Amino acid sequence: MRALIVEDETDVAADIAQAMQEAGFVVDVASDGEDAWFRGNTEDYDVAILDLGLPRIDGLTVLRRWRSEQRSFPIIILSARNDWTERVAGIEAGADDYLGKPFEIGELIARVRGLIRRAAGHTSASIAAGKLLLDTNRMSATYAGRPVRLSQLEFRLLHYLAHQTGRAVSAGELAEHLYGAADPGDANAIEALVMRLRRKLDADAIETRRGFGYLLAGSGE
Amino acid sequence: MKAGSLRVRLLLGAAVAVFLALAAAWLAMTLLFERHLEHRAEADLIRDGTQLAASIAVNKDGVPTLRREPDDARFAEPASGLYWQVSTQRGSLQSRSLWDESLPASAVAKAGDWSTRFVPGPFEKELLLVERIVRPERGGLDVLLQVGLENASLHRARDEFGDELALFLALLWLILSAAAWAQVELGLRPLSAVRNEVEALKRNPRERLSTTHAKEIEPLTRAINELADARERDLARARRRAADLAHALKTPLAALAAQSRRARTTGAAEAADGLDRAIAAANAAVDGELARSRAAAIRAAPTVSTSVALPLIDSIVGVVERTESGALLVFDVNVPDALTIPVAAEDLLELMGALIENAARYARRRVQINGSASLQQSELSVEDDGPGIDAELIAQAIARGGRLDEIGSGHGLGLAIASDLAEATRGRLALTRSALGGLKVSIAWPLAAADGATAI
Repeated sequence: MRALIVEDETDVAADIAQAMQEAGFVVDVASDGEDAWFRGNTEDYDVAILDLGLPRIDGLTVLRRWRSEQRSFPIIILSARNDWTERVAGIEAGADDYLGKPFEIGELIARVRGLIRRAAGHTSASIAAGKLLLDTNRMSATYAGRPVRLSQLEFRLLHYLAHQTGRAVSAGELAEHLYGAADPGDANAIEALVMRLRRKLDADAIETRRGFGYLLAGSGE
Repeated sequence: MKAGSLRVRLLLGAAVAVFLALAAAWLAMTLLFERHLEHRAEADLIRDGTQLAASIAVNKDGVPTLRREPDDARFAEPASGLYWQVSTQRGSLQSRSLWDESLPASAVAKAGDWSTRFVPGPFEKELLLVERIVRPERGGLDVLLQVGLENASLHRARDEFGDELALFLALLWLILSAAAWAQVELGLRPLSAVRNEVEALKRNPRERLSTTHAKEIEPLTRAINELADARERDLARARRRAADLAHALKTPLAALAAQSRRARTTGAAEAADGLDRAIAAANAAVDGELARSRAAAIRAAPTVSTSVALPLIDSIVGVVERTESGALLVFDVNVPDALTIPVAAEDLLELMGALIENAARYARRRVQINGSASLQQSELSVEDDGPGIDAELIAQAIARGGRLDEIGSGHGLGLAIASDLAEATRGRLALTRSALGGLKVSIAWPLAAADGATAI
């Protein structure tokens, strides 16, 4: 696993690099935005840890450039500015996670692993069901050609429904799949999740079959 | 009216100026009237003198005689004030009104034209006297012809005119003073409007004076607006510097955390623990200070802007869904599309961000975000299905006026930040138990503070 650490504070960069190496990553360190952009654009990384306050080119610009150049590796932002305006700007610019300074190194490693786990492990790059197209590498979706941002839970629900061609899946089965058999949660949570997905995709994107459960519109055609 | 006020000064100035102008007018008009009376009297005397001249004859003794006396009855009444006298070097003839007095001799009378002068006359009265030399017969004696009128009658007429004029001018002075008062009131009215706007500016430093004032006041309003701009810029700069300073501390804290970790790997676990505690305390202090400075900034400059709640809440949920704790939760957002809240977008983002992140940290499966508006208030609430906070702890914190970050359940700092921001934006924060089982935090903004809130 290769990781790019972009941090201009030497002590912090060295600490992260050491912790990442101990966690089994091969690490490159960039200390300014220009170097970071070049490395991210020319090398293949599994994850990038990106500080926002960088010399030469700021972190947010580097992030936007990577994404506009179709660099899709997961990125976790590390920033001293931890207010919500910054966080929202970071995520909307294409970051996958955001961690404010100072941070627990253990939490950073856990989040990096989580990002890699979510991005990996899919044999097929994309799954289509009706108007829905799921990108399993980026855990993102498009509906009728329109990009839709999904939470992990929402993606997993759609992913599960997409694999059940033409079959209505009950709320209980969905809960069991999402939360595990030991603690399947309540049906209301699934209902709320479906309602939220309908709002994000389309009111008719997920059909309800009374007495049977949910299925994706067009998945049985 | 305050002494020394602009209104008093203008009114007094106008009243005194009008008074002086009217007094000068009174004096000038009285003098002119007096001159006019004198000219009229002189013309009358010359007319009488001309009649006399036509009737004069000189007898063989060289004494003047009259063929016919003037018609005016006053010439026949003793000391009537109207007199005539004709005289030669050998004798004189005079009106009965002169009785035993006579008109003074003249050294200025000419043969060609009438001369006019004021002289002390008979009965100790001053006279307006017209006189000339006539020669009734060719080669005969020169006759001095004099007709006089007592000046007192002229003065009486002048004084009567002066009194009536003074009365009229006093009335005019009152009317002009009233007009000046109306003018001052009208002229100062734009200043009252400016004063009201300055009051609004005092209440809310983001207000500005309007640009529709009179041309003469415009430089003043422009200067006040520029001053307010400069003050707001200074405040913003100070806030930015405080925030920058707080943020600037975060990276050294991260570097210290790195040192701590290094110390731990070299076996100095105790030192590392101490360092970690100090870092956590410093970080909490910086976060708390940032939140407080934001709340203070809102209080110092309360916004008049409103924000549409739903897109902001969706953005926050989009971020929280990516965190470890948020990734496995269902975010049930029931906020009407058109719901607006009387809080600036960035402040609402911080407020709701703190609440939603907090809820996500403690929720088991679900976080529910509701929004509603009525005629009285607009309201947002965040609730979760987590363990919640003990009602007794909430009551204690509220009852003793303590800070919510002292609750100690771990909900603390997020709730304290939200509470500060809610209070700064004139919202009311309430903590209750959610129907989902966990904590429900509601914030209601009353309609008085929520002019832009849309009733749904």
